[in-house]
Amino acid sequence: MMEKEKRTRAITDVLLILVITVIVGTVLIIACGASPAEAYGLFFRGIFGTPAGFAEIFVKACPLILTGLGCAVAYRTGFFNIGAEGQFYVGAMATTIVALDWTAIPGVPRIILSLIVGFLAGGIWALIAAVCKAKFNISEIIVTIMLNYIAINFLGYAVRSFLMDPEGNVPQSAKIDKSVQLGNLIPATRFHAGILIAVLCVIVVWFFLEKTTMGYELKAVGLNKRGSACNGISVMKNIVLSAFLSGGLSAVAGGIEVLAIQKKLLEGISSSCGYTAVLIALVAFNNPVGVFFVAVLYAAMQVGAGSMQRQLGVPSAIVNILIGVVVVLILGRELFHFKKTHGKGGNA
Amino acid sequence: MLQQIFSLSFMTAFLAAAVRLAVPLMYGGIGETIAEKSGILNIGMEGVMLSGAFFSFAGAWYSGNLFVGLLLGMIGGLVVSLLHGLLSITLVQNQSVSGLAINMLMLGVTSFLFKLMSNGQGYQQIETFPNIAIPGLSKIPLIGDAFFNCDFLTYTLYVLLVLTWIFYKKTNLGLSFTAVGEHPQAAESAGIQVKKYRWIVMVFNGLLGGIGGAYLVLVQLGVFTENMISGRGYIALATVILGRYTPFGMFGAALLFGAANALQIRLQTIGVSISPFLLAILPYALTLIAMIGAAGKNSEPEALSKPYVKGAR
Repeated sequence: MMEKEKRTRAITDVLLILVITVIVGTVLIIACGASPAEAYGLFFRGIFGTPAGFAEIFVKACPLILTGLGCAVAYRTGFFNIGAEGQFYVGAMATTIVALDWTAIPGVPRIILSLIVGFLAGGIWALIAAVCKAKFNISEIIVTIMLNYIAINFLGYAVRSFLMDPEGNVPQSAKIDKSVQLGNLIPATRFHAGILIAVLCVIVVWFFLEKTTMGYELKAVGLNKRGSACNGISVMKNIVLSAFLSGGLSAVAGGIEVLAIQKKLLEGISSSCGYTAVLIALVAFNNPVGVFFVAVLYAAMQVGAGSMQRQLGVPSAIVNILIGVVVVLILGRELFHFKKTHGKGGNA
Repeated sequence: MLQQIFSLSFMTAFLAAAVRLAVPLMYGGIGETIAEKSGILNIGMEGVMLSGAFFSFAGAWYSGNLFVGLLLGMIGGLVVSLLHGLLSITLVQNQSVSGLAINMLMLGVTSFLFKLMSNGQGYQQIETFPNIAIPGLSKIPLIGDAFFNCDFLTYTLYVLLVLTWIFYKKTNLGLSFTAVGEHPQAAESAGIQVKKYRWIVMVFNGLLGGIGGAYLVLVQLGVFTENMISGRGYIALATVILGRYTPFGMFGAALLFGAANALQIRLQTIGVSISPFLLAILPYALTLIAMIGAAGKNSEPEALSKPYVKGAR
């Protein structure tokens, strides 16, 4: 009975959140003086209208999936990593260096190697915060935020000095050789091989968390630190491990963005996906498969809203508002049940 | 080169720029200090300041009165902080998640409203608050111009800093507010209503953070642009830690961030070839080092960012 009640509660929560979000979206569209029917029409035409538009969803989802996975892994262990943004850029820089400089290694092996080096660099970058937390008990939240700014500013320095294209005078790296780029898989779209890497990561992370002892220990530490320690699971080791994986995954997102989309390193290429990732992991309840779907959904909203903005002038900032509303509603879903628990009227 | 840097005029201009760049951080920082002293971590400070900036611009633009703008900016900040309060105090949710969600929400809301308001066309600048030189003090060489030839919001800040310091150091009520952040269970059993106190600090958090955002519009720039806080809210969080949760510590930390910022602008104008980006890293790295250095001493409020449930252990 209790279980059943819980489940119906969860379903009504999801439905209510969905309804409220759609209502908010509609109100915002009307506020712009646009017709909601036309706007939603354009929204869906932007998504399903052309193969290029549909593929664009996965192009936009790719970095969000990887950074979202990174956050989810960390949060499962109770390590509140907000550093995906910085780890993304550290990965992007490391990958760029390998892809540009290690010319002795041919195409595909160099791609793989560059992403692995990116993974390691991002992982090590995140370790700074993990060590601060595990050794000195310093809040990882602030440390990772500081590390973000350090990484972003260092990138600004890098693309103006040692990584700058010697032939140009724009703050960006030289173009990455064609043989080291992650190529397009479907002609006339931007659907690239990196998306498959992201999907592969989803499967690997899911398997790791759900089917291996190490994954079990990570989750155990997240659920109960004391209990884990008493049962011989090292809290410190697991925090360090999850931070490393988390940073590595976000870093791969950066590497793929360089090799597949930009084909060179420059500033601002994350479009703040490192911060969006935190919310995506949360909405997905830190479940790897959930992260995939939430990231794709979010990217679809972005693509659809982009078409709305181009055609109707409805600001695409709507997407930011809506994801904010969704997260606030998830956090505040207790309010839906005030009626029952407090005997007061009023719904959300 | 060095002669140029150590000249009086360079230093005077540099200090003045440092103070002006630091004041928004200080308002955000003092609001955040007050909240964190009582155990609420508001990562949404970025959103609070953004809201303050937008609504102060809207208010000043439509009314033509800077004080109306300031008031609206404060209210704008307040509403955002109260939302954080609702999620973290009443609904006992994860404060970091709530803060980040608020930042994204407010980025969307302010950009959206600004697009509606501007309707494609650019805005003229609004008038900004004038500087008021304090007779005598503003003539002190080196620091006079920086600290005593400012707008009234900067002077208000000095007063606020002193009042906050006195409040926490010298009054019983200040002790109660600290207790709420250190050991809420003990505070509750001593008759302090933890949740009420935490709501009160969120009010100050919002009003002061709102002024921080409004300062950028009403004093420094005279315009609103999308995402104009661009990380200052997060820096304000850092100043609180670097300042060890004291008003004057925060003041010094914010000045450091302001100075690093001013230095890179100044050095560029006289053509020194040190990367401004490396300079910009400095305060963040210092914050990290300070945190590690202070690790054993632990100035952080014990119950910071821990949700409080009455009666739970």
